[in-house]
This record gives sequence, structure tokens and C-alpha cells, in this order.
Amino acid sequence: MKTDDLIAALSADTMAEAAPEQRVLPWLLPAVLVSLAGLLLTLGARPDLAQALTSFVPAMRHVLTLSLFGLALAAALSMTRPDGRARLWPLALVAAVALALLIWAYASTPADGRMMALQGKSYNICIITIPILSILPVAALFMALRSGATTAPTLAGALIGLAGGGAGAAVYAIHCVESSPMFYVTWYGLAIFAVSAISAVIGRRILRW
Amino acid sequence: MTGTDDDWAALLRAGMAGDARAYRAFLQAISPVIRGIVRARGRALGEAQCEDVVQDVLLAIHAKRHTWRQDAPARPWVYAITRHKVIDAFRARGAGIELPVEDFGDVLEAPAGVDPTERGDMEKLIGMLDDRSAGIVRLIGFEGATTAETGAQLGMTEGAVRVALHRALKALAVLRERHVE
Repeated sequence: MKTDDLIAALSADTMAEAAPEQRVLPWLLPAVLVSLAGLLLTLGARPDLAQALTSFVPAMRHVLTLSLFGLALAAALSMTRPDGRARLWPLALVAAVALALLIWAYASTPADGRMMALQGKSYNICIITIPILSILPVAALFMALRSGATTAPTLAGALIGLAGGGAGAAVYAIHCVESSPMFYVTWYGLAIFAVSAISAVIGRRILRW
Repeated sequence: MTGTDDDWAALLRAGMAGDARAYRAFLQAISPVIRGIVRARGRALGEAQCEDVVQDVLLAIHAKRHTWRQDAPARPWVYAITRHKVIDAFRARGAGIELPVEDFGDVLEAPAGVDPTERGDMEKLIGMLDDRSAGIVRLIGFEGATTAETGAQLGMTEGAVRVALHRALKALAVLRERHVE
């Protein structure tokens, strides 16, 4: 086939597709709502949620997970452009705040209470439930963004995992009664990291073009 | 360089709004530039194989045109896709290359060679499509038929031809990716 013939065939196709960011909401919104409904119908919201949102340290669970979700989503979106670059420092900032909270909690917890603060009563439920709640948001983001043209599929996949994992953790935080940063930075962090690592592997495969 | 960046962006913008003629002009304007980049980077491949890579890049640009931000300049976007596909293509053919994107600024345009750029790779891929899709791509590509003429010949509505062509070209881009791996 001559290049001019190819150009003739290509230029006859005038059907435009939606830009990747226009595809995000229709996929992501239902996914997050289903995860949220799943949590509310099974584990349920913590009874004193409103009160927990008003005190700084427990409320930071919601702030950190929601900021991670938003910032990772923005970074993943900018990577759908072949000439786009993801800004990663806002994500590092979230990690730094989480780490600072962890250190503060470690220092302010008496030595004999640290193990209890770390394990809480529900670490095993936490590290299983967050990845489960993340499955739909991550899948929705892959569906929406696979039409993109990232030049770094592994990193883009990891960012999708951070966004989806952040969404899953933010949903889980509605149920979670553990208020020590030693608990939530550790276990939320591990769960989100695992989701992100798996998503990086998936991204490497399905975001290629 | 063929035209300024504004020219490319204006043509691509019009093309994405449905102006097939502007879109064709865009593809014709970028082809010599892409060819120049590919040939400058891939001397080891020879002129004919280079043209396969040029066609790869054009197909990728077509398949991913919705990732261009319409208020952004077109040239960095075209270069980014070219760079990505050229690296892929050379890697697949076993020839490693270094391709700093900033070098593209002073690349020379290359016209199509004496061999009238008749290339086999794309033809092979088209052969992997189902018969009707392959027929549509060939009628429009080789014989220069319009979508309306193609529809009349195949007993389809023009709208159905458009949809089938769109799907066929998307399928080609996916096949291309698998084929290159």
C-alpha cells in the first residue's frame, strides 16, 4: 500500500472519538457508587461518622485518601497525552504529610501502646477490604483511559492504581473506626500500594499502543 | 518544514471537526517530516522498511487523534507520537536507536522515494481484517472511492460504511501493535 493510499483511507474516516478525560466520569462515577453502596450494605458506615469528621487526626484519613485520589487521577489524565508529563510532586506531598502523621503518632503513643495502635482491631479486614473496594474504580479508569496514548504505560498504570486505591480507601474510611495514624497510614498505605503495583503490571500490558 | 505549527493545528482542528479535506492536507503535510525523522534515525533499515514505519506512525496518529488538545500546538504532539512509534518499530526490528525529541527541530523533510512507497506491511495487516472491512479500506485507499461510492458498490448505506471504516482503521492500529511485538 502506498502512503498516499493510506492517507486517503485515513482521511475518509471523519468519526471523532471523545478525549480520554471526557470518558472518565461516565465510567468512574458508577464504579465508585457501587463500591460505596457495597460498603454501606455490608460493613456499614461507622455510627459516629459526623463526629469523627470534625476532629483533625481521624478526619485526615478522609483528607489524605481523597487528595490521593484527586491528584493521582489528574496525573493519570495528563499521561494520556503522548506529549503530556505527569506532575508527581503533589503525590509526594501527600505521602510526606502521611509520613509526618505516622511519625507524630509514633512519638506521641506510649511505648507499650504502639503495637496496639498499629494493629488496631481491624487491620486484617482493612487490608482486604480496601483492595476489594478498589477493583471497580481501577477497572473503570482503565476502561476510560485505555483510549489514551501514554508513552509510559507502567507509570500510567501505577497512577491509575493510586487513584483507584485512593477511591477505595476513601470509601473504606467511612466504615473504619481506627483513628491512629499508626493504623491508617500503615494499612491504608500498604493496601493502596498493593493496588498500585498490580495496576502498574496491568497498565504495562493494556495501555500499550 | 511544511508550514508553521499554526497551519498544522488549524488543519488538524478542522479535520477533527469533520473536514476530510483539511485532515488529508494535515496528513500530507506531516508525512514528509515524519519520513525525514524516520530516515535520519533508521539508516540501517533501508528506504523501503522506513516507509513501513512512516505508515505505522500515520496510523497511530490517526488512531490517537482524540488525545491532541485542540488548543495546544500540534507539532509537539506529532513528534511525541512519532518518537514513540519509531522507537517501537526499531526495537521490534532489532535495531536499537537513540531518539532525542529535541533533535527533530532541524530534521530534513524527505519526499517519497523513487520506489513509489508501495509497502507490504500495511497490505498484510489489511489482509488480516474481515473481508468486508478489508474491501472498504482498499476501495477508499487504492481506488480513491468516496464513502458514498463505496456504499453504493457494496450495497451499504454511507453511514454504515463510515462506521465500518472507522472500526477497520481502529482494528488495524490494534493489529499493528500486536504484529510489531
